[in-house]
Parts: sequence; structure tokens; C-alpha cells
Amino acid sequence: MAAAALCWALRAARQVLPSPCPRQVRSYYVDWRMLRDVKRRKMAYEHADERLRINAIRKNSILPRELQEVADKEIAALPRDSCPVRIRNRCVLTSRPRGVKRRWRLSRIVFRHFADHGQMSGVQRAMW
Amino acid sequence: KDKSTASKDSTPEGASKRQQDGAETPKQQLLDIIGTMKVEVSYRKKLQQLKAREGKKQTLNKIEGSDSEGSVPQGATEDTQGSKPLNPELVKAASAVASSLPRNKKQTESELLAQLRRHEETTDKQKKGGAINIRNVISEMTVKRQTPAHKNAKLSGRISLQSDEDGQRIRPQRSSAQSIDSRRNLKVGKRLNIFTKASTEPEHALKTVSSPTIWDLEFAKEVAAVTAQPPRNGFEEMIQWTKEGILWEFPIDNEVGMEDDAEFHEHIFLEKHLEGFPKAGPIRHFMELVICGLSKNPYLSVKQKVEHIEWFQKYFEEKKELLQEI
Repeated sequence: MAAAALCWALRAARQVLPSPCPRQVRSYYVDWRMLRDVKRRKMAYEHADERLRINAIRKNSILPRELQEVADKEIAALPRDSCPVRIRNRCVLTSRPRGVKRRWRLSRIVFRHFADHGQMSGVQRAMW
Repeated sequence: KDKSTASKDSTPEGASKRQQDGAETPKQQLLDIIGTMKVEVSYRKKLQQLKAREGKKQTLNKIEGSDSEGSVPQGATEDTQGSKPLNPELVKAASAVASSLPRNKKQTESELLAQLRRHEETTDKQKKGGAINIRNVISEMTVKRQTPAHKNAKLSGRISLQSDEDGQRIRPQRSSAQSIDSRRNLKVGKRLNIFTKASTEPEHALKTVSSPTIWDLEFAKEVAAVTAQPPRNGFEEMIQWTKEGILWEFPIDNEVGMEDDAEFHEHIFLEKHLEGFPKAGPIRHFMELVICGLSKNPYLSVKQKVEHIEWFQKYFEEKKELLQEI
């Protein structure tokens, strides 16, 4: 029991050292689609600069066409998940792909639930 | 010191005489006395209480031969012998305090004596650095008003209890750390340098972290885990969040994290980076447009802009063969 307590203390200290006082931390994503979306976002962030520069070469009227064709091939060769178009703004809590308000990153159902319980700051039922 | 003692001798008598005149005058005199002593103005009340406690405790130990805890009187006598020059002043100060307060004198005296006793216990423990008495720990825990010395003593007490449970191998290192703790606490407690507390603590922390032993690191981590008590109120929670980085620091600084030390001319006049490119032709034209765009960009740092241009340079060098065909 003492050893377990010590182990717990050390583990907690290791994890929790920069930020003491453990609170609830979400360690799983809601579903696999959300996980894939997260991966796509990370990849898009990594390749964002490259894509921007290659596109700058492509969308050009000054540089010769051959160069632009080569750039086309290069950008097509990049991994598919690195393009930002594939990112879907899912609901953060339920991973719902549709009906998501951008400002709160929540789906309409979750938003309504929290707003009715008074947990959305500054949100009120409309009445006029 | 002599002057303060002399004034002390006169004023308690004067306090008792003039008490009839008004309750405020002896209090004011008390405050003046204690203010003239080595005390900083902002922490006057705290130190006043501390010194009153010390004096009362020493009077108690003189009067009462034996206390309820066995280990205390031995240490207490040592302490009384050690800190004798303080005693008469504090005794008189305490008596003046008790006399000046409008409530039951005996009750206040007994309370002050009890607090002083507890204080003496903590100082004994810190001096010895090893005598772990559960009663001491519990009595410490009941003390509401804490000085930094009390806090550190508590900490060391709890950790020493854990080491007892776990095994004796951790003890000698703990005791050494404790003795270090106690020495530092003792210095802080006696000097009452509350303003320098902030400077002593980070030194102590640096010492534990920078030493290469793994055991010291683990000990430091355990200490951090133990001291990290959950926040008692919203303010402490917000402080914690600010430390973690969840909450911004107010007033909001728009340039947090953006430490761009470059001058404006480094952002705008980027032509010097164009030396690797041919001086005529579509590429030059293209790069001049790129530079024009970069110079108007306030969001990138100079490093990022230079990297941008260098990427293009690399790219065009790779495509040189292709370009020469054209």
C-alpha cells in the first residue's frame, strides 16, 4: 500500500509536475472520425508553408508554364491529408459534422443544451 | 536596544496608570515601541503578534516547569537560555498587550501563551531536525496563522511521515534535506525578513533541481506534488491557470510570445536577400513581387520571411536545368 502510494505520487508528479492539482483531462477522442480529422489538421499545419509557396508558383502569370506544370505535379505528390480542404469543422463534444456553429465549435444540439442550462456566457433565448 | 528596553520599562507602567485615561493611548504607545524595534512598517501587526507570542511562551516556560508534551521543556529551557536578552522586553510587551486589550486579560494571556508554546515547539523541531512527534505535527496543523517558517515545518513533517511508512532508506536523505529546510526556515523565522522570502525560496528550489542526483529530482517532484494543494478559492484557481498558461496575464499584452527584436527596416527592405537570384527575367520579377508582399506582412517575423525567400531560392536552384531548357 505504501509502495502503491509512492508510485502514485511519482506518477502524478511526473504527469502533473508542470501543472499540479489534477483535473479531468479528456484522454480519448469522441470517435474515429474525429481522430482522423485531428490527424488531418496536424498534417495540414505541417505542410501549410510548402503548399502556400508551391501554389504561389502555380497561380502565376509571370513564370513559364513548364515551371507551373512541374509545380502542379509536386503539389499533387504531397500527402493527401495535408490539404486544408479535407478538414471538417466537427462539433468538439459530439463530433457531429453538420449543424456546427463556428464561434463555439459546438453542434446545434449541444449548444442548445448548454445555453438552456445557462452555461454559455452571454447567450440568451431570443424574445422580441 | 537599550533605549527600547528603557522605553518598554517605562511604558507598561505608564500604560497601567494611564489606562483609565483612554484605551487608545497604551495601544499607541505599544505600537510605537514595537515600531521603533527592528520592524518593517507594512508587516507591523504580524511581527507584533509573533514577538508577543515569543515573549509569552518564554514566560510560560519559566513559570510552568512541565508541559503536557515531554520533549518541549528541554528544548524550551535551551531556547530560554539562548534568547534571554529578548525575554524581559517581550514579557513587558505581552503584559502591555494584555492590559491594553479590553477583553478578559487572563484569557488573552493564556491564548498568547499557548500560541507561543506551539511556536517554540516548531522552533525546537527545526533545530533538532529529526524528532518526529505526531502531536507536534497535529498541534502545528491547528495553528491558523502561518508564517513561512510554519509552512515549511509542516511540509517537512508530512514528508518525514511518508518516509517512515515507505522505508528507512529514504530517511537519511530526507533528514539532510529537512535539516537544510530547517536551517533556512530558522533563518527566515528569526530574522523575520519577509521581503527576502521570495529570494530565499527560489534559491532553495534551484538547489534541489540543479543537483544531478535522481533521488533529489524525485524528491523535488514529490514535494511539488504534495505542496500542490487544490485551490481554496477562485483567485487561487485563476493563479494556477495563469501559471499553466490557460489564462492570459492581465492587462493583456498583445505581443506575448512575439519577441521580434528586428527593426522596421529589416522587415521592409528585403532586397538584400535577393542576391542569389538572376538579375533579369521572370524569376526576378516574381521574387520582387514576393518581397513586396512580405514587406507588407505584419504577422511574420523576419526569420520567417528570410526562410520564405530561401525556400524559393532552393526551389529555383533545383529547377535550374529545366529553366535552362526553356
